[in-house]
Amino acid sequence: MGGKVTCTLGEIKNRADFIVYWGGNPAECHPRHFTKYTLTQKGKFVPNGRKDRTMVLVDIRETPSARAADIFLQIKPGKDFEILTTLRALVKGHRVNEASVAETGLSIEQLRDLADRMKQARFGVIFFGMGLSMTRGKHMNSAAVLMLAAELNAFTKFVTMPMRGHGNVTGSDMVMRWSTGYPFGVSLCRGYPRFNPGEFSTVDLLVRGDVDAALVLGADPGATMPQPGIDHLARIPTIVLDPKVTHTSRLARVHITTAATGISAPGTVYRMDEIPLPLRPALVSPYPTDEEVIRRIREAVAKKPAWAQRPAAMAPTN
Amino acid sequence: MSLNIVQHATCTFCGCVCDDIELHADAEKIVKTKHACSLGEAWFRNHTAERLYPEALVDGQPATLDTAIDTAADHLYKAHMPLVYGLSNITCEAQREAISLAELAGGVIDSHTSL
Ligand code: SF4
Repeated sequence: MGGKVTCTLGEIKNRADFIVYWGGNPAECHPRHFTKYTLTQKGKFVPNGRKDRTMVLVDIRETPSARAADIFLQIKPGKDFEILTTLRALVKGHRVNEASVAETGLSIEQLRDLADRMKQARFGVIFFGMGLSMTRGKHMNSAAVLMLAAELNAFTKFVTMPMRGHGNVTGSDMVMRWSTGYPFGVSLCRGYPRFNPGEFSTVDLLVRGDVDAALVLGADPGATMPQPGIDHLARIPTIVLDPKVTHTSRLARVHITTAATGISAPGTVYRMDEIPLPLRPALVSPYPTDEEVIRRIREAVAKKPAWAQRPAAMAPTN
Repeated sequence: MSLNIVQHATCTFCGCVCDDIELHADAEKIVKTKHACSLGEAWFRNHTAERLYPEALVDGQPATLDTAIDTAADHLYKAHMPLVYGLSNITCEAQREAISLAELAGGVIDSHTSL
C-alpha cells in the first residue's frame, strides 16, 4: 500500500464538484479553506461556485463545519477504517455484511449513497484531518483513504489531501524527504539515514529516555508532551530556539530568541498541497533568524574533531 | 509615522498558507491586516519586533548570543544521541540547516508529523 493520488488546491478550486472533509473541522481550524480553495470559489469548470459543488462532512460530532455541508455523516468514534473499507467494497460492487455496517453509526443506505455519489462525481476530493489520522487505526486509516481515492480513479477523477496543521509542517516533510529520503523520524546516528516511526519518533525517544540532548526548533514539547517526556527534556541538556520564552525554554539549559517566521524572518514555506511559497516579512526583528542561529551552531560543531568519518555531501552549499 | 504596507504577505499560522494578506506595520508592530481570518490576524498581531526577551538564556541566566551558540554546540557535540525536534514553525531554509546539523552531530531528527 502506498502512493497518494493528489493535486494542488488550484486544481480543486477549478475542478472539484464533490468535496469530502473527513475527521476535520476546517471552519474553525483552517478558516479560509472553504472560501479560498474549495467550496465557494468559482472555478473554470465549476462556474457557479458553491452551487456546482457538493460537500460531505464525515466526523464523530457535529462541528461548526457541518453548517457548510450538504450532507453530514456522523460516525461512531474509531470506526473510520471499517467505513473506508466498506466504501471500497461498495464502490467495486462487492457484497458487504450489513450487521457489521450497523456498528459504524451509518446505515448501509447512507454508505451506498456516498459510494454512488463518489463514483458519479466529475472530480472528487477527500480532505482528511487529524480526527482520522490520529485516532484508532492511525496511519492505517490514512492508507485506507489513499486506497479508496486511488481505486475511485477506475471510475472518475478522485484525489486526496491531508489537512495539515501548523504552518510549515508540510515543508519539514518535504525537506526531510528530499535530503534524507524519509519524511520524519530519521536517525542519522550511524552517519546514514534510517527511518523507523515508533523507534525514532520524538514521544517514544523522550518517554523511553533514549536521547541525551535535544534541540527544539519552533515547538513547545514542554507544554504538550506526556509528562515522562517532559521530565526527560528537563534531565538532559535541552536547547530551544523560539521567538518567545516558552515552557520548554524554562526547563532548557539554553534558550535563544529568534525572529518570527513570516513576520520578521524571510524564507520559504510549503502549503498543505506541497506548493512552496515565499514569505514577505513586514517587520525587522532585533533577533537573528532560526536559519542563521542553526547555521552558526552547525559551524561551531563542525570545528570540533569529527566523531565519525564525515560525509560532506549533505551540508548546504551557499 | 507612515506605515509600511506589505502586499501579498504570507500567513503561516495554518496549513492554508494564505499568500494574499495585506499588512500595515509600524517599526515594531503589525497594526492592521487585510484578508486574514481571525486566527491569522491574531497570529500577525501576536508577534512584534520589540525586544521583549533577552537574546539568549544559558542555565536560566541572560547570556550573549555567542555564548549560547557555543554552549549549544558543546551540548550537541558531547551527546551520543541528540534529538532535533520541531521544524513546523521554521522556514525550509532553516529546516535544511537543521538536517545538516543533525547529520553532523549524529542525531535523530523528527517533526510534529510523528505525533
Ligand atoms: S489567514 Fe487564516 S486560513 Fe489563511 S493561513 Fe492564516 S490562519 Fe490559515
